[in-house]
Amino acid sequence: MDMQFGVMLRGLFDWDDDMKVRFNELMEQARLIDKLGYDCITKGSHFSTYPHQEMTQIPFLCRIMSEAPNVRLNAGIVLLALHNPMEVADYFATMDLMSGGRMIFGCALGYREVEYKAFGVEKGTGVTRFEENLEAVRRLWTDEKVSMKGTTFELDEARISVPLQQDPHPPIWIGANADVAIRRAARLGDCWYLNPHQKVETLLRQMDLYREELEKYNKPFPKELPIRREVFCAPTHDEAVELAAPYIKGMYDAYKTWGQDKAMPAEDRDITQEYAELARDRFIVGDPDEVAEEYVRYNKELGVNHIIMSVQGVGMPQGQVLDTLSLVAEEVIPKVRAA
Amino acid sequence: MADIQLGLMTRGQFPQGDDMQLRFEEMFEQIRIADKLGFSCITKGMHYSSWPLQDIQMVPYLSRVMAETKKMRLNMGIVLLALHKPLDYAELAATMDVLSGGRIIFGAALGYRDVELKAFGVQKKEIVRRFTENIEAIKRLWTEDKVTMKGSFFELDEASCSIKPLQKPRPPIWIGANADPAIERAAQIGDCWYVNPHSRNETLYRQLEVYKRALDAADRPFPEEFPMRKEVFVAETREKAIELAKPAIGLKYKVYHSWGQDTVMPEGDNNLDLDWEELLDDRFVLGSPAEVCEQLLDLNKSLGVNHIIASVQGAGMPQSQVLEALHMLGEEVLPNLKNA
Repeated sequence: MDMQFGVMLRGLFDWDDDMKVRFNELMEQARLIDKLGYDCITKGSHFSTYPHQEMTQIPFLCRIMSEAPNVRLNAGIVLLALHNPMEVADYFATMDLMSGGRMIFGCALGYREVEYKAFGVEKGTGVTRFEENLEAVRRLWTDEKVSMKGTTFELDEARISVPLQQDPHPPIWIGANADVAIRRAARLGDCWYLNPHQKVETLLRQMDLYREELEKYNKPFPKELPIRREVFCAPTHDEAVELAAPYIKGMYDAYKTWGQDKAMPAEDRDITQEYAELARDRFIVGDPDEVAEEYVRYNKELGVNHIIMSVQGVGMPQGQVLDTLSLVAEEVIPKVRAA
Repeated sequence: MADIQLGLMTRGQFPQGDDMQLRFEEMFEQIRIADKLGFSCITKGMHYSSWPLQDIQMVPYLSRVMAETKKMRLNMGIVLLALHKPLDYAELAATMDVLSGGRIIFGAALGYRDVELKAFGVQKKEIVRRFTENIEAIKRLWTEDKVTMKGSFFELDEASCSIKPLQKPRPPIWIGANADPAIERAAQIGDCWYVNPHSRNETLYRQLEVYKRALDAADRPFPEEFPMRKEVFVAETREKAIELAKPAIGLKYKVYHSWGQDTVMPEGDNNLDLDWEELLDDRFVLGSPAEVCEQLLDLNKSLGVNHIIASVQGAGMPQSQVLEALHMLGEEVLPNLKNA
């Protein structure tokens, strides 16, 4: 089975954690991921993450380029409604140059009030900004010079400062939870980047929607279809369940306070349900055989062929993370490839 | 007697058509050599839509090259802060500070180019307000757990900087300034004025008094670290240095003039569209290693600057010349700046 495997380095830590130490650990993870032959490293973006600490996406991805010279680097995702298209287009052009054409540009709307306010973006204007910004970024990447008047910017014969390495541009993955956002991903993106929070049955329904919308715009089904998932893999089933329980709860409590659930479809909205129910079909938890089976099922049922796994729950010790990365690379990935 | 530090600005601007992958590798080599020779910092500037030059963006670049040097500080010199949002740059710079082990210098200035202001949706009349509010917000985000502050174009509502800088209380803030009011602002809100590379020395002598008066008025001491950027052209002889400078300066200053840099410089010193011979006249550090050394010591004596950030690669200058210049600066000039 043709499948790519990526790792999300979440980089989210407790408020009083020593980030210098944590950063050195993430560098070690990056080196191992590269050595084990994974396909990409992913870093997300959030601002004002209290009560957690987080490393900012762009500096982080640039810093690890030297540690992980082979993997693709996925900015998954950029909160595009908050930013300026000139800046984003230019930053990614430089990153594509420095990485030798290994960048993936993930983007989504964002939903947290504290971020919108801090960037001076009125909530009602998020979608307009997102769509305009994406159009501007794409045009800056592909046209020699761009004149375009957006609501909050004006490109007046503007150009990116350095040409892109990838032709025509880094792939544009659009993260989407809500139905309307999935329609947008079909219309505007190179692919929908399936989100990590929804149950498979919800995703199946939304996949129909996605396909319909692609047809409407006469766009082919994307060659690369990525999904992000929380993955807890251990030598035995019971160990994996034990491993997963505390992190899943902690993580979703944090998302809940951020309001992530409000961005999800109504049927799938309450993410602080009892753990056992929460885990089913939202996470991948199991021994290597079980995890491999899940990956194959995701491919068969949803058509995804790039699985970005988050393996480090907030507070999970480094040794555990390294063990998981090795176990998945050695015992899961070969099984999926052989399937 | 104190050391004068010598930093390196890797401008990263190259003519259209240049192979940027190759140029980027060359900049890496420059950094590794500068590190070995004892240069104090790597500096990168910020411009958008830099046509007719190609350019590399500061934040990704400094984040990448920090892996190539363990000692040198990394100077964001300068961030066009009026264009940006404070939470964004507080977090970017704080992350870079942690990732580099506390080596970030945060340089900031207004920015002036129409194409940039338009692209970021910023009106010219707003830039001073945006800049001063952004500086205040960034200082608070770096040093307080939660910040509530309503700016004209942003609102921090119990916002937190997701990662705190490693340097305590925070990285130094250098403020780039050309015009007198900007220099007064640097005295009021910056850790130091980052003296600009384009003005004549006689202009700078006058502006130093402006800066000192503003420091006095704000009841702030003269900064311990006082940095200045300069174009430095060094060769075996003065004649060779002039030959070296000609093409580089010619192109660069034509570009600055077309960008409008001179419109923000003080009256009487604001035409950058001059013949290059005239530009040479005490705008640049230029000559043999001994002459360059003397000029740097003069700048230290007359202006009090003790950290000079040298741009040595004019646009289009080949790598071999850059490396030669770096070696001369590191081996023949730098030792004489210790205990100067």
